[in-house]
Amino acid sequence: MYIYLPIAEVSLHIAVVIGLGGGVGFLSGLFGVGGGFLMTPLLIFLGVPSAVAVATEANQIVASSVSGVLAHWRRGNVDFKMGGILLAGGVFGSTLGVFLFALLQEIGQIDLVIRLSYVFFLGIIGALMLIESARAILRARQAGAKRGKLHQHNFLHGLPFKMRFRKSKLYISALLPFTLAAFVGILSAIMGVGGGFILVPAMIYILGMPTSVVVGTSLFQIIFVTANVTILQSVQTQTVDFLLAGLLLFGAVIGAQFGSRFGAMLRGEQLRGLLALMVLAVSLKLAFDLVITPSDLFSVEILK
Amino acid sequence: MMPTMPLTRLLMCLSALIALMLGSMNAAMASTAQTGENILVADVSEENVAITTSFHGTELLLFGALSGQKGDDIVVIISGPDGPIATRRKEKVGGIWVNTASVTWKNAPSYYQIFSNRALDEIISSSEQDRLKIGYKNLPLITEETSLTKQALDGEWRDALARTMNASNLWRTHDKAVSLTSGALFRLDVPLPKNIRPGNYDVRVIHLRDGALLSEKFDVIYVKKRGVGALIYRFAHEYSFFYGIFAVLFAVASGWLAAVAFRRA
Repeated sequence: MYIYLPIAEVSLHIAVVIGLGGGVGFLSGLFGVGGGFLMTPLLIFLGVPSAVAVATEANQIVASSVSGVLAHWRRGNVDFKMGGILLAGGVFGSTLGVFLFALLQEIGQIDLVIRLSYVFFLGIIGALMLIESARAILRARQAGAKRGKLHQHNFLHGLPFKMRFRKSKLYISALLPFTLAAFVGILSAIMGVGGGFILVPAMIYILGMPTSVVVGTSLFQIIFVTANVTILQSVQTQTVDFLLAGLLLFGAVIGAQFGSRFGAMLRGEQLRGLLALMVLAVSLKLAFDLVITPSDLFSVEILK
Repeated sequence: MMPTMPLTRLLMCLSALIALMLGSMNAAMASTAQTGENILVADVSEENVAITTSFHGTELLLFGALSGQKGDDIVVIISGPDGPIATRRKEKVGGIWVNTASVTWKNAPSYYQIFSNRALDEIISSSEQDRLKIGYKNLPLITEETSLTKQALDGEWRDALARTMNASNLWRTHDKAVSLTSGALFRLDVPLPKNIRPGNYDVRVIHLRDGALLSEKFDVIYVKKRGVGALIYRFAHEYSFFYGIFAVLFAVASGWLAAVAFRRA
């Protein structure tokens, strides 16, 4: 059965849409990531206009983040103070991102910027994760690894507006998480992702937050950033496809449950290694598309 | 939407025949208004096409009758809602393909298809095609301000527009798509692909003899969004802020519900 998506204005098979939601949901449950970085490019490959894919995916990530944050909240793994600062930065950044998106769309370069951002950030993150998990696997084989310092002190600790974050056991400048979240917020609005795959490593390595509170806090702030993107895109470009988001969500919710159960059977560093390979594969596919000669140098777009 | 069944097609052809007879009666009665010899009637199987959530493209039957003779030709042009269409050209910049030039056509039809009973160039000379405004070369297109020359716009860029729109199944030329019976009855299938735009589609039926126009008939097909999809679309466009709020609340509620449901399970 085909379903005509009212905002995307394309007709897709309903099994494809729910299956896509389920597949990406499975992977997000397996690896504990949002899955936006997979869903958005796949929707674009399926023929959904990039603007609709990005805005609709933001709407769907609201749901998956709410669903994910509850478990972390129950275990007390959300630093609300840090989350609040990140949230402020994220809302600021994503608002900027939505306007930037509209501007790029007008000059016809949005697809290029989306693709380049994916190639660049997924490439870097994927490569770093792959190296890190390879080291972890090797280290696990060698006995008696040394334990390093908790975190290094550098110029970042000299910034003003210092704040104490009890849950994260940090005393750092509020500017640092704010700027970080603002940057990820811009990417979130342009790439149609939650941004967890950048924010989580940045919170660990740049802010020095303890790993236990990182995922919950990141999910907490992603809810608000993606909600902000959803509302802004609804108002500015009318590109949030409610029907598409609903169908993806339905599949993703079920898929995520199977994924998280399956994930419990695999080891952490192996999981991260697999995720890294997947991230790299998406990045390479997009890079390849940018480099190969298109069959027609001209392209067409029916504007609203 | 279901394709038209053979039986209904037969009925339509019959009704076309009746229409022809009625038409000639009309013509006979109103012979002062018309010349009395050139009668052309046409109709479509569905004047109102609904884009519902189950829409996956459809096909209409266009049929009609004419008081013609053997060797006459029928050309049908269907031209969809006009609006802005952008064409962009890529160039290799630093190893990757980037859009470097673009043209926005302000009033290009999002659907433009020509149907004829034999190859268009056999039916009608190219100068006559120009005079009768047949073919994408003769569309009265206006572009937004550009530094490109008129020659490039009318040549390379207009061809590129036609080629890319053809690849999207929206602009087509169908030779031998009209079946013409004894110069009196004609019928053709009109494909409306799944990516058509809602709006008014102008139908122009042209009756030709020896490459010259005998008569023309105009009709309109209305394509509209209907049902739940139309509601969502209207909600998104007319109350966009509340639509956004609603989308967020829906997502929060379903995320929360999913977490609770699967925790119990």
